[in-house]
Amino acid sequence: MPEPVLSIRDLTVEFKTEDGVVRAVTDVTYDLFPGETLGIVGESGSGKSVSVMTMLGLVPMPPGKLVGGEALYKGRDLLKIPKKELRNIRGGEVAMIFQDPMTSLNPVFKIGDQISEALQTHRDGLSDGDARKKTIELLELVGVPYAERRYDQYPHEFSGGMRQRAMIAMAIANDPTVLIADEPTTALDVTIQAQIIEVMRAAQDETNAATILITHDLGLVAELADRVVVMYAGRVVELGDVHTIFNSPRHPYTVGLMNSLARVDLDREWLEPIPGQPPSMISPPPGCAFHPRCAFSRGRERCRTEIPPLRGFGDGLAHLSACHFAEELEAQHVTAALALEPS
Amino acid sequence: MLTYVVRRLLYSIVVLFAASFIIFFFVSVSNDPLSFLRMQPTASEITIENISERKHLDEPIPVRYLYWVQDMFTNQFGTTTIGDRPILPDLTRVMGHTLQLVIAAELIAILLAIGIGVYSALRQYSAFDYSATTFSFVGLATPVFWLALMLQVLFVNIYLWFDIRIFYTANLSGIDPGTGLSFLLDRAQHLGLPVITLAIASIATYSRFMRASMLEVVNSDYVRTARAKGLHERKVTMRHAFRNALIPLVTIIALNLGALLSGAVVTETVFALDGMGFYYYNQLLLGDPYPVMAWLMVVATLVVVFNLVADIAYGILDPRVRYD
Ligand SMILES: Nc1ncnc2c1ncn2[C@@H]1O[C@H](COP(=O)(O)OP(=O)(O)OP(=O)(O)O)[C@@H](O)[C@H]1O
Ligand SMILES: [Mg+2]
Repeated sequence: MPEPVLSIRDLTVEFKTEDGVVRAVTDVTYDLFPGETLGIVGESGSGKSVSVMTMLGLVPMPPGKLVGGEALYKGRDLLKIPKKELRNIRGGEVAMIFQDPMTSLNPVFKIGDQISEALQTHRDGLSDGDARKKTIELLELVGVPYAERRYDQYPHEFSGGMRQRAMIAMAIANDPTVLIADEPTTALDVTIQAQIIEVMRAAQDETNAATILITHDLGLVAELADRVVVMYAGRVVELGDVHTIFNSPRHPYTVGLMNSLARVDLDREWLEPIPGQPPSMISPPPGCAFHPRCAFSRGRERCRTEIPPLRGFGDGLAHLSACHFAEELEAQHVTAALALEPS
Repeated sequence: MLTYVVRRLLYSIVVLFAASFIIFFFVSVSNDPLSFLRMQPTASEITIENISERKHLDEPIPVRYLYWVQDMFTNQFGTTTIGDRPILPDLTRVMGHTLQLVIAAELIAILLAIGIGVYSALRQYSAFDYSATTFSFVGLATPVFWLALMLQVLFVNIYLWFDIRIFYTANLSGIDPGTGLSFLLDRAQHLGLPVITLAIASIATYSRFMRASMLEVVNSDYVRTARAKGLHERKVTMRHAFRNALIPLVTIIALNLGALLSGAVVTETVFALDGMGFYYYNQLLLGDPYPVMAWLMVVATLVVVFNLVADIAYGILDPRVRYD
């Protein structure tokens, strides 16, 4: 196996709020390998954004607080390196695409200038003219028509889809090694989503960056991801390659996610949502945070008292699950999620 | 942009004409220009009749209005009822003084308030932030006349105790203001206290606004994007956050300026400054409607002009503002 470009180890982040301390992320651990796409899925509030933004220093602290952990990028811990070095990595080797293109661009600056700024920040001595030229190439690459003219337009003159293309152009401007896309399509309507997915693919081909793709959309994961991290209540509950996760999930929450997915290959009358509400992040349920909603727990005491550790299945650490009774799922998953078509 | 300005100017002319009629109508019906003359013991029947004729006071209001408008344009904004003094020179003089006062106070206030507001927002809940907040509330709650009086008392006492004259406490010029540099120094010593008085109120207001709008902006998504680009924190705040945070402040300043130019009455009165507010107050006491109306027209014009300036500044700061 190749060396990972990025290794998150035991990352734990809290927020101080008026209602109490929110444990947004607890002991999150995963690796990102060169060239791969790692999908992170989970309900709203499960800590997906916080886990990636913490390592880029983009979580406001306070109210946030880094309780512990490491984020090793090429052997250096991003959580401990000096601010100046982190700035050099941020937007350069590690770049990020945000969820909401409507608010993520500065309304008072030209689109093109905002991209050029990203270029010039990381390339000393790049002239304005050259930055402009390069920006126009980038805009063309992500499919912004009339890039030359659109360089001088402001965000309000761009549609949502076009803005997200511009955000992608900005993220890949400096040929990143790691690209983090935080729900890049969530804020867009369905037809535009498909286009943005194509742009994401093109951007990946261009840069060959290892990509972390955060999303609610399991369809998007099936389409783009090589491996998947499933998060629940701030913890990683399952991790494995995309076929394993879809075909033989080993965590009841993942099974629930699969059942709530609309799939053309399953002739189902209705979708099954996971019952209950996402847990409170201030006082999560004791033991396994998922147990109150779990169809497999059946009131077993262990689920209520003991926090299940992530453990491996089969070939070493390629497939991990945090369920005390993961073995029981083997028999049941077949009804829950049918074979994922190899694409 | 140019067409927008031209159109706004044309529109302003219409507004000012409407304002002029309203001003004339209400001042004329609320005050008989002759009544205050009749109370003057020195004014004879003949004088009153002459004045009445000169001012066309027998005519109906619309006709008088037209004469007044004609005077405004051709005869130095008309003349006073007693003495037939042209009004324009007086108005220009007091406007000049008020402009000196207000511009000095506002420049100081804007610069300080922006600094205080931005720093408070960046260091939210720090000792500095709490002090600034306390200062603003005290500043807003302090009556202007009281502050003005206290400043006078303070500096008079400094003069008495230490024999140092830092600021004069009344009027606009010394007995012999001199010329050139010594004139400027004299003017600054006279304007110092009124400027401080006005500036404190403005700083209190503006710094609150600046802090609030900066706080809103620093937590916005596009500031996070700027940070994610790898920009230096200084550039993130000064370029990406600051410019957006200024936009709402422009409106507040423009509105406040219009009000200050006409409404520094209390400050000007306490410091016996020969400015717009002082003039207006004295003309009201005299009861002569013509200077009052001329003054109201000037103020209406200033308000219209400041609104236009604010809109243009707005458009320069915010590309989303459309000029059509
Ligand atoms: N600035 C903050 N202040 C307080 N709490 C925060 C802050 N940012 C995040 N949180 C809390 O951290 C938890 C995880 O948030 P996060 O944004 O990572 O969720 P997410 O999985 O990305 O959800 P979504 O799918 O809605 O984006 C949430 O409970 C949220 O309320
Ligand atoms: Mg999120």
